[in-house]
Amino acid sequence: MIAIEKLSHAYGKRTTLVDVDASIDAGEKIVLLGSNGCGKTTLLKILTGLLEPGGGHVLYDGHQVSPAALRDKTVRRRFRREVGLLFQNPEAMLFNPTVRDEIAFGPRQHDLPDADDRARHWAAQVGVEDLLDHAPYTLSAGQKQLVCLAALLALSPRLLLLDEPTAALDPRSTGWLVDFLQDLPQTLVVATHNLSLATELGERCLVLGEDHTLLHDGDVASLREDTEVLYRANLVHTHRHRHGDQEHRHYHTHDWS
Amino acid sequence: MKDRLLLLVYLVLVVTATLVHDARLLLAGALTVTATEFGRRPQSWVRALRAALPFLVAINLGFLIVSKGDLSAAGRVLPLVNARLFFLVVLVFRILPAIDLQRALGFSPTLRFVLILATSQVLAFRRLFGDFEQALAARTTRRPGLRTSLRQGAALGAFFLRRAEHDATEITQALTARGFFLDRD
Repeated sequence: MIAIEKLSHAYGKRTTLVDVDASIDAGEKIVLLGSNGCGKTTLLKILTGLLEPGGGHVLYDGHQVSPAALRDKTVRRRFRREVGLLFQNPEAMLFNPTVRDEIAFGPRQHDLPDADDRARHWAAQVGVEDLLDHAPYTLSAGQKQLVCLAALLALSPRLLLLDEPTAALDPRSTGWLVDFLQDLPQTLVVATHNLSLATELGERCLVLGEDHTLLHDGDVASLREDTEVLYRANLVHTHRHRHGDQEHRHYHTHDWS
Repeated sequence: MKDRLLLLVYLVLVVTATLVHDARLLLAGALTVTATEFGRRPQSWVRALRAALPFLVAINLGFLIVSKGDLSAAGRVLPLVNARLFFLVVLVFRILPAIDLQRALGFSPTLRFVLILATSQVLAFRRLFGDFEQALAARTTRRPGLRTSLRQGAALGAFFLRRAEHDATEITQALTARGFFLDRD
């Protein structure tokens, strides 16, 4: 469905991605793991055609994806309908007067006749149906995140890219979201720095290292056994561990939150 | 309809203020606008004065410095500048709170999007401003001195500038990703 070939990127002199290769098939649930600043967000934005890669390219169904390629109106309409990106900061995505309009915005842009029905349906699915007539900017961070997710799903995309979707959620909402994402038929790429969530969010994971290269492309279970890769990717930590009078130190894969 | 009419009145008055070059007329205008607060304490006058005073002082001092203390030039220019600025601030406090801008701009979806984006940014920035203030209060045991205040102000300004630039980029990308510019050639 989407292929990344020798992808590199830099913001000025700051390197963000180095020679990343990967291929994602339809229906896969991928976890994109890496510590802060390793290039996860940049990769998602390149996959969505928002940023021009410095080198290499992205192919979506065999067609190149880039800001230049998306200047073609027909290509752009199809791509924006089929590929959705949930931004890490949901406020960046909200600009409509009500939650209803926010969710219906995408379908209206694409001239879908059932925009309002879609808004009601997806609001109910993510549990914000009571907020349909509220202004999005008055909601809590977690509610904003859910409204944004509903807004993306209202277009029935084929590929959904989620940037740290649990960052603003409390534990109960995180648990709900994990189940919700598992049941979605869409191809998913979920970026997170939370290793403990990886097994719940997908079967396969891509790990970006602090050197911005792809350190691992494989199943989550084998990654959890590979302490060296986890350490290089800054996904594990050590700290003093106390058991009564005894004290020792070893790697921990759990998240702090 | 009421909101749209009020917005139109506001815009006409703003344009008029730029065409009037008589300080007495502008002050009379400010008084008239304030007088429309029928029976209530003239809040907008006081609030306008409080808000405009630092700018007026800065402008007046700046002019006097640049004109090397030329009082005759100051006498010609400054009353008009002060009166115009004061009139505009009175208008903001008197008329804008009475307008539901979303309803007033209802005729244009694009303007409404811009308004909502601006509102959410203002709210976010106001929250951050509060955080900065509270953080300073939490870290100081007495009223901060001039140096500390200046440093904090500079840090706040630099932070807001960086944040505004980052947010502008992020919002544009989010709009693009959500198909806002689908039909742009």
